[in-house]
Amino acid sequence: MLVELTVNGEWKSADCPPETTLLKFLREHLMLTGAKLGCDVGDCGTCTVIVDGESYNSCLMLAARAAGRDVTTIEGLADSQGVHPIQEAFEELGSLQCGFCGPGMIMSAKNLLDKNPTASRHEIKDALSGNLCRCTGYTKIIEAIEGAGRVMSSDKYPQSNTF
Amino acid sequence: MIKKGRGMACMWYPIGFTVMANPSAATVKVNTDGTATVLTGTVETGQGALTVLGQIVAEALGIATDDVHVVSADTDTTPMDYGAIASRTTYVTGNAVLSAAEKARQILFEGAGPLLGVPVDQLKAVDRKIEVLGFPSKSLGIDEVSQHCEAVIGTPSIGSASYNPPTVEMDPETGQGKPFNTYVYATQIADVEVDDETGEVEVKRMVAVHDCGTPINPMLVEGQIEGGISMGVGFALQEEILFADDGRQINPNLTNYIMPTSLDMPELEVGLVDNYDPTGPFGAKGAGEPTAVPTAAAICNAIYDAVGVRITTLPATAERVFGALQELKKAS
Repeated sequence: MLVELTVNGEWKSADCPPETTLLKFLREHLMLTGAKLGCDVGDCGTCTVIVDGESYNSCLMLAARAAGRDVTTIEGLADSQGVHPIQEAFEELGSLQCGFCGPGMIMSAKNLLDKNPTASRHEIKDALSGNLCRCTGYTKIIEAIEGAGRVMSSDKYPQSNTF
Repeated sequence: MIKKGRGMACMWYPIGFTVMANPSAATVKVNTDGTATVLTGTVETGQGALTVLGQIVAEALGIATDDVHVVSADTDTTPMDYGAIASRTTYVTGNAVLSAAEKARQILFEGAGPLLGVPVDQLKAVDRKIEVLGFPSKSLGIDEVSQHCEAVIGTPSIGSASYNPPTVEMDPETGQGKPFNTYVYATQIADVEVDDETGEVEVKRMVAVHDCGTPINPMLVEGQIEGGISMGVGFALQEEILFADDGRQINPNLTNYIMPTSLDMPELEVGLVDNYDPTGPFGAKGAGEPTAVPTAAAICNAIYDAVGVRITTLPATAERVFGALQELKKAS
């Protein structure tokens, strides 16, 4: 079947079998391999993407369900102007180690901060609870999201910078 | 009722095992633009090993870490290494890259000495220069010297070395020997809350203070400790591989093998004891596995402090703690 959707602001389409998950569609049909295949059953969160302003485990969503909708993946965060404040904060604090959870963590964080850039530590922990990390103990990830929130809630941050 | 408790645990952990051969080899090449290339067989698994190796080489050559390009884990190009195991990379591979960098530096000194008109032992490598000791104005750029060594003298500034912690075999009669070359130490303290009606344990805060020799990259050491504590919290309270009678694992996926999420992590306070080990590169030892060693013990001590039961089988699930509390009630 033909699936047409917006990915990172661009209209995309590809033919895929109807049972194709959004994750597989992104990775194997659109060659966007930022979202990772971890458990494939919605436990680990490393496939997290944002669809119409809500974060989803893309391994649990059929590509057809995303048809016509607006999908943001980790590839959509950095542009020629530089990386997203969340990515910058992750880099600054050494928030990732092996990095496999990173794309999902950052997309969950973006989904939270887009709505609530002044999120409390508990709200951040809550927003990340579906994203497993084995290396970091989450500590530097949480600290980075707090820092990115401060950047994103400042007057200088362009509010139009979100898809 | 929620009962609070505090527990502490201390540990030591061996770095650089010597019970069998444990070598790392490395090659350091100083390029003619003043940068350096390091060849190492070790693997980056996210802990920052290659950053630390780059820092060691940069320090030895007097250049910036950004000037060092580390090529790793490629059997086409890199020498042999036992790998990122046994918390050995900073210590064993670090010693190998340091020796290799010192050999490359020696070639630079031998090239620069005659040009600067001083004996080779009167030189130091600092700020991307080869400089006469005590005369900072008398110097040559490391790039110039490297070019001179390579193109004029014909001895490129390339050093290769290996490090194998010295072995002392165990005496079969006395059982004495030296199984490890050095040791690291740590103390962790846990604050927990235990619900004495359900047995549920929540770790609220942990303080971890570790000695890893000189921390070459304190931020990365902190990251290792924080990660180790999360594994320790899982070990203490959640993680257990369950087997059926026929030997099959009952919980082979993340739905039922429960590991800590962001919500399970306590607030952490990490401290580093700035120590110096004369056998390590710039005084460094290691930080990997030791970070997870005392966590479960500290948490179990905190459970005892809170509700008076000793949990001797991990994980200390709510069922186990509740069971122990029932036993305690019966006994009293």
